[in-house]
Amino acid sequence: METIKNALDFSDSPRIDLTIAGLVALFLLVFPIFPHSAFAMATMIQFLMFSLYGMGWNTIGGYGGQVDLGKAQYVGIGAYTTAVMLIRWDVPFWISMPIGMCFAVIWSFIIGYPLFRLKGHYFAIATIATTLVLKDIFEVWDFVGAARGLEISPIKYIPPDFLRLIFKQDVYYYYVILGFFFLGILYVNWFRRSRLGFQLRSIKDNEDVAQSLGINVHWAKVKTYAIATAFVSLVGSFHACYIKNIEPEDTMSLDLSILIALMAMLGGAGSLWGPIIGAGILIPCKSYLKEWLGAQVGLVGIDLIIYAGIIMVISAFEPRGIWGIVEKVRRRKRS
Amino acid sequence: MALLEIHGLIKDFGGLRANDDISITMERGELVGLIGPNGAGKTTLFNCVSGLHPVTSGRVMFDGQDITDLKAHEVARLGLARTFQVYVASGDLNVEENVMVGCFMRTRSPSRARARANEILKDLNLHDVSEFRVSELTVAAQKRVTMATALGSDPKLLLLDEVAAGLNPSEIEEIMADIRHVHEDMGVTVMLIEHVMELVMKVSDRVIVLDSGKKIAEGDPETIVEDPRVIKAYLGERYVREHGGDIG
Repeated sequence: METIKNALDFSDSPRIDLTIAGLVALFLLVFPIFPHSAFAMATMIQFLMFSLYGMGWNTIGGYGGQVDLGKAQYVGIGAYTTAVMLIRWDVPFWISMPIGMCFAVIWSFIIGYPLFRLKGHYFAIATIATTLVLKDIFEVWDFVGAARGLEISPIKYIPPDFLRLIFKQDVYYYYVILGFFFLGILYVNWFRRSRLGFQLRSIKDNEDVAQSLGINVHWAKVKTYAIATAFVSLVGSFHACYIKNIEPEDTMSLDLSILIALMAMLGGAGSLWGPIIGAGILIPCKSYLKEWLGAQVGLVGIDLIIYAGIIMVISAFEPRGIWGIVEKVRRRKRS
Repeated sequence: MALLEIHGLIKDFGGLRANDDISITMERGELVGLIGPNGAGKTTLFNCVSGLHPVTSGRVMFDGQDITDLKAHEVARLGLARTFQVYVASGDLNVEENVMVGCFMRTRSPSRARARANEILKDLNLHDVSEFRVSELTVAAQKRVTMATALGSDPKLLLLDEVAAGLNPSEIEEIMADIRHVHEDMGVTVMLIEHVMELVMKVSDRVIVLDSGKKIAEGDPETIVEDPRVIKAYLGERYVREHGGDIG
């Protein structure tokens, strides 16, 4: 009971934040009613997916301060579990998604347990390495389609198929992911004030102090890494049904891992709204830059140059991202 | 049965022996001061006892249990809390939340942790600043917050590492009152490392002196200040020869 109450309790956010959040939520709920292009709809779905990736990353990367650059491997595990189970055994999304989550979480324990003996940059590099290895394995593994990947053929099912999550119109996908998005916010809102959330913030500050307060630092990190993984794997499963065509290159790439971390850091790592703000800025940038400058003007790769620029600006001026700037301004006003 | 027993504790860092055959026994309810010149091995001893450093040899018993090989978080859960000398507390958490981290050792429920944190903050007269970030406070208040955080875990034994360093006289008075309150009213056994002699001499039941990793003297505050070995450790051999041990 207390858990549900705490998840719904946003009272420590200033009123202005809640007003803005409410308006944004309302906009998200009614957005499909207004006339929009298919491109805008696809961008919105991407925004929601990446917000969820970011929220997951934020638990370990933001609150825990462990820079994780290997989240894509769990996107892949979720996506492949759902796709393989649907194609081979006709298992619906709502069953394969939690199974994929279990696989991802088990994998995260196998990876996380030794990796969290490392600190700082070494940890970040090791997470990249494990992703690269897993991607290479999937690229030669015939059972999952190797480098060709897997394709979910939509003609086999009669849309709208709510069990298998096969739809013709994107608006269905939009509302499914929007539901997960709201649940994700409630979960993170609970998490940040839970015992584990507090422990992580203490670990981020000073591990010696955290230990002396009875916190099993290593185990707390491994547990949170699994939570982050569950988020990412869920969206991976959704990705499989939504895109219907998955290959190691787009579900497990280093680009995706970095984009997930970058988004949360740009918005504000370690804050509730940060990953959403980050996704809200970067995803439209990514889509439209690719579309206009990439495809139309011919500046291929311009989006990557802009990400690199953003990384440099954040790390030089405000490591706590956009939300860090907001908080700084507020504190200055108060004092 | 003694609360804390340290038997022949040795700690080497490479070729440097930081703690050399130290044995200390502390009874429940005592307040012991641990003094010694810089580099005497006081903080190292705290680190070994609290499980942060593995010891080279020797045993540490706490509350009847051998804690020598336990990890720091396991030692903490048995009821041995400590503060750190250099600790700029969280940029992320405010005062109340800092103390809550300590309280979470004994409860899972955020509301119970918050309630307990507020009790402690009231007890130590810190409730006025509970909404502030620790970095916004004075050094004195920061030190008291680290004490409050350690108390959040309801310890049996509290190790305080230089809580009065860098404070002005009135702040020292305040923190002295806090230490007495923790010791007498809350019933916590306390060992404190301190360079501020005025504080050590006033509050301690017993003082232990370390020098170059060895325990050189132990006794009540009045006799300790007159012990030639202690004066030698602080002021040098020549001083003792010339003044005959009288530091008046």
